[in-house]
Amino acid sequence: MFFRSEANASPTAVGPRAFPDSASLRYHRTTMIEFRHVFKSYGRGLNALSDVNFDVAAGELLFIAGPSGAGKSTLLKLIAGLIEPSRGKIKVNGHELSRLPARARPYLRRAVGVILQDVHLLNDRSAFDNVVLPLIVTGHDTTTAHARARAAIDKVGLSSKSKLRPVELSGGDQQRLAIARAIVNRPALLIADEPTANLDDASAQRIIDVFLDFHHVGVTTLIATHDRDLITRYGKRVLYVDHGRVSSHILPPQKHVQEPQS
Amino acid sequence: MKSWLRQHRYALGTTLRRLALQPFSTLTNIAVIALTLTVPLVGAALLTSLQPLTQQFSPQPQITLFLVPGLPAAEGRTTLERVQAEAEAESLEVAWVSREQAYARLRNQPAWQDALGALPDNPLPDAIIVTLQGSDAAAQAPALAQRWQQWPEVDQVQLDRQWIQRLQSLIQFAQLGLLLLAIGVAVIVLATVFNTVRMQALAQREEITVARLVGATESFVRRPFLYQGALTAGVAALLSILIAAVAVIFLNDALRALAQSYGSDFLLRLPAWPLLLGFLAVVASLGAFSARWSVTRNTRF
Repeated sequence: MFFRSEANASPTAVGPRAFPDSASLRYHRTTMIEFRHVFKSYGRGLNALSDVNFDVAAGELLFIAGPSGAGKSTLLKLIAGLIEPSRGKIKVNGHELSRLPARARPYLRRAVGVILQDVHLLNDRSAFDNVVLPLIVTGHDTTTAHARARAAIDKVGLSSKSKLRPVELSGGDQQRLAIARAIVNRPALLIADEPTANLDDASAQRIIDVFLDFHHVGVTTLIATHDRDLITRYGKRVLYVDHGRVSSHILPPQKHVQEPQS
Repeated sequence: MKSWLRQHRYALGTTLRRLALQPFSTLTNIAVIALTLTVPLVGAALLTSLQPLTQQFSPQPQITLFLVPGLPAAEGRTTLERVQAEAEAESLEVAWVSREQAYARLRNQPAWQDALGALPDNPLPDAIIVTLQGSDAAAQAPALAQRWQQWPEVDQVQLDRQWIQRLQSLIQFAQLGLLLLAIGVAVIVLATVFNTVRMQALAQREEITVARLVGATESFVRRPFLYQGALTAGVAALLSILIAAVAVIFLNDALRALAQSYGSDFLLRLPAWPLLLGFLAVVASLGAFSARWSVTRNTRF
């Protein structure tokens, strides 16, 4: 409804390599995210964001950097429509979020894969059931939902642990499980808040590789991170958030990253 | 449509899973609601059984004039003619019941056979039964009864409608009482389901958060709770019907002997099945309504 049609998508296609119809992604416009004079305050006098302005092009991979408490998580939650700005205008794929009726917001969230710092996994069910949930929410039939959930779990390398409950998984595996849940609905926009925090280098690289795969097939990807090495490694644009202000772009923006992965 | 059905099936499965995870709490809630619902249901059974009792009697007031015992037949006929003369003016129907006819009728009733057999002769007087017609019949009946009571040929006047009116007034009073009781019970059902769903919603806070995060609509979030409310109240209503049916069987065992001693076959019976199905639907709907109210109030996070 908000980003693209899934009518012709293969049921087992979840990861970019299994995305045979990725070329058919139909964006409404080339700018995926627009922030105009956005303020966000919590309570009295605590400004999480102040007069934030930026654009993110469709298909762009963008890092969001900054110290703890700078407003990175707030920024991501605003984009996902999980919280509302105190002032200003946010557009996601051409839809101004503040004008979006409450009943339409869930449909926006279906097209945005969100991985928060607190991974919000359900410990009363298996890893597989956690991943299949977004497909149940969208009313997919059982066969398709199970096939896509299996493919998503496979994509993040958790096939052998799909029957375990999240509480039985390591921190890294829980992070990967959250990614599987975020990608299972084939989002056009992927948002991750500190996805590699507290992970060893190898695990962190595997997770970043998943995001890169999605970026390479045109999925707009935003990653908030502290990791300076990670930011500089890929030469992508960075939004630097400090004291609630998006103060600088460390690396020049690259608007259309559509080249297929070799 | 298939997607809609799948989501309902998922919601129902989720509800059953949640209920099964807390069997003691679930059964306690159902038992409390069922026992509460049984009280008005048994009350309804009593009213349902009393209602035909009033309907089997003439809806028009009747005045019975018992003539003085041993009154000569000629005077009895004169009295009848006087009443008939008034009947033309007052739109009345008049019937003569001789003491022999009355005795014969009474002997046909098993409850009176032994008593009449013990008497040496017929103790009954001749009687004139007057049935009043017209819309103001009930209003004019007491005045007529009082006037006829003054006649020397008349020993006693009985206004037959009075006790039926009293019974009907009593039933109307009981109906009002039952209505108030039903409203009270409905409030208890609402409160119980509301609180149960509130607790459940708080316990499922994380699941609701995740569902919203991945794009669940509010209908999707609310649906399992609506099923929970409707199922809890519906099963409780079904259980209350069963409890009331068993209670009526036991009460009838005790009532049968009492009713037979009055020559009556009066027995309690539950309202008709369509009414019971309606009761079930109303209680289930009440549960769903309460659940919706509760989940809407308690999931604003």
